[in-house]
Amino acid sequence: MKQSKPIIEINNLAKCYDDDAGVYDALKKVNLTVLEGDFLAIMGPSGSGKSTLMNIIGLLDRPTSGKFILNGVDTETLSSKQLSKLRRDKIGFVFQNFNLLPRLNIMQNVELPLIYKKIKSSDRKRKVREVLRQVGLEDKIKSRPNRISGGQVQRVAIARALVNSPSLILADEPTGNLDTKTGIEIMNLLKSLNSQGVTIIVVTHNPEVVHYAKNTVLVRDGLLHKKQASA
Amino acid sequence: MIFQNIKMALISIKSAKMRSFLTMLGIIIGVFAVLLMIGIGDGVKSQVSSEVSSLGANLLVVYSGKIGSESSAKNGQQQKSSGGGFNIASTIGSSTLTQNDVISIEGTPHIIHTAPYNIISSVVTYGQLSTSSPFIVGTTSNYDDITQIKYSAGGFFTPQDNDARNNVIVLGEDTKHNLFGETDAIGKQITIRGQKFSVLGVTKKSDGGTSFGANADDMIYMPINTANKITGLNQVFRIITQVDSPENISNAQEAINKTLKSNHGGQEDFSVLTQADLLSTFNTILDLLTTFIVAIASISLLVGGIGIMNIMLVTVSERTREIGIRKAIGATSSNILGQFLIEAMILSIMGGLCGLALSYLVGMLVSKFAGITPVFSLKALVLAVGVSLFVGVIFGVAPAIKAARKHPIQALKAL
Ligand SMILES: Nc1ncnc2c1ncn2[C@@H]1O[C@H](COP(=O)(O)OP(=O)(O)OP(=O)(O)O)[C@@H](O)[C@H]1O
Ligand SMILES: [Mg+2]
Repeated sequence: MKQSKPIIEINNLAKCYDDDAGVYDALKKVNLTVLEGDFLAIMGPSGSGKSTLMNIIGLLDRPTSGKFILNGVDTETLSSKQLSKLRRDKIGFVFQNFNLLPRLNIMQNVELPLIYKKIKSSDRKRKVREVLRQVGLEDKIKSRPNRISGGQVQRVAIARALVNSPSLILADEPTGNLDTKTGIEIMNLLKSLNSQGVTIIVVTHNPEVVHYAKNTVLVRDGLLHKKQASA
Repeated sequence: MIFQNIKMALISIKSAKMRSFLTMLGIIIGVFAVLLMIGIGDGVKSQVSSEVSSLGANLLVVYSGKIGSESSAKNGQQQKSSGGGFNIASTIGSSTLTQNDVISIEGTPHIIHTAPYNIISSVVTYGQLSTSSPFIVGTTSNYDDITQIKYSAGGFFTPQDNDARNNVIVLGEDTKHNLFGETDAIGKQITIRGQKFSVLGVTKKSDGGTSFGANADDMIYMPINTANKITGLNQVFRIITQVDSPENISNAQEAINKTLKSNHGGQEDFSVLTQADLLSTFNTILDLLTTFIVAIASISLLVGGIGIMNIMLVTVSERTREIGIRKAIGATSSNILGQFLIEAMILSIMGGLCGLALSYLVGMLVSKFAGITPVFSLKALVLAVGVSLFVGVIFGVAPAIKAARKHPIQALKAL
């Protein structure tokens, strides 16, 4: 196997929430390197800071201190517009609670990132069909999100995350709201994407998920603990 | 992107039809009111201007009292008059003009016909039927020469009728119809102020024409001497006079001014107006009225704009989560700004177009039932779309900025 480049380098990263309710250190001195092609599982108890870390990696939030280098670019210096473009082009998101827009149909939901990328309509339709085929939902193209099952919604969300051919997919508890069988389907889907070269980071409570991952880290009280690679 | 934003906006407008309609209502009413008022104003203007020119060519009208700007009356220029010195009372009160003035004007150079014009109020009776709607005018046969009346039966009275104070009249088509129906009126006797008058002629239907503000088809003309006999008055309300050619109008105006001034012992207690003066005096008053009404109507546009802003602010809060999702998948703040701004603009443009359609519709009803044909120009269309676009931008900006500024994570966490 050839040597992979790091896609994520995090050094001494901290995140402190400071609001009316008081000051809270959600992340303290986190160090993490993720190589291209990795499948990383992030585990840990509720409230330990997993989502906080994911949001920072996904460029939705900025750290209070420390360095976060994505694809060799120091994210601290980037403008909000540049962050938007990186989210659009490099990162795909899958959230725990299915974040589709209810007024748009499946096609329109999956199409959105391509619209923001100003891709031509005919190319968009072709690409959307392609990713929906990949997640096995070609026949639901005109349905509204409230007309398909939870597992199908999550697959649409994965299709939307895939549509811009990102190098990194972030999934925050993608199976949290699903039954075991559907959860396994989603994990297999992510696994097959990973085998095609996409770097994947999954936040999960489910110990089973760890079997799909190449590496696992534990978050506890805002601190990161390495765990030995499984399979 | 703009096309996509329009598509998005239409989707969200469609998904809340009732709310969208109520939001647009303010703009609909505003644009409707403004356009209809401008349309009616322009309609009345063009109607009056065609009426003034249909009265006859190269006319001067002498009114009792002082109307119009100083300069216009003083040096007899024809065009500049404005409503500056207009005093309604001076034209309604007892008249300063006399038969002597009529004779003096007849002797002025370039004048071909001169007719006095008196108004008599009375109930008109024929058999069992009586009506008070006709406008009864006392004049001379010169009036017929000036206005070139067309007849469906008979004709106008003669100078001899006037000299002999004969009780003869000419009826407008509607007046004839109201009193006689389809039967012939010529030679029949009708009663005015207790005296019998025999009908000499009936004028042809003028299709909405007027005679100095009155419905030309609901008129009764009688010799002025006969009129003065039954009223016991000896004054002249107005004098209508015709100049031989357009070049001589201002000379004639000046000459008449001079003559009447000496008749009236140096007092300028009368006004000699050209048709252009009549129009501009009228237009000045109408413009003032229209501007005033349009200004009031514009307030509803403002209210409509505030309505749009209000709903857009609500929409932005309700759709916070949507904004978070869009940002998470790569929308920039300006993408979000554009989306909500365009939604507000589409709401207000749709409102504007509905208002436009409504004003056409009501305009058609007005012209059918009120006899005024509102004039809608391309200008009105551009105005409607332009103003509603402007309102949409002005009142859509604040909500759109609010949407664009939302922090992606906080927006995603919103319920
Ligand atoms: N916006 C915020 N303001 C203040 N405190 C916050 C905010 N977001 C999260 N926190 C706090 O930071 C801590 C970590 O939150 P986070 O959402 O990262 O936990 P988590 O590990 O994802 O938990 P779970 O497994 O339950 O999703 C929690 O104690 C939470 O209360
Ligand atoms: Mg979480």
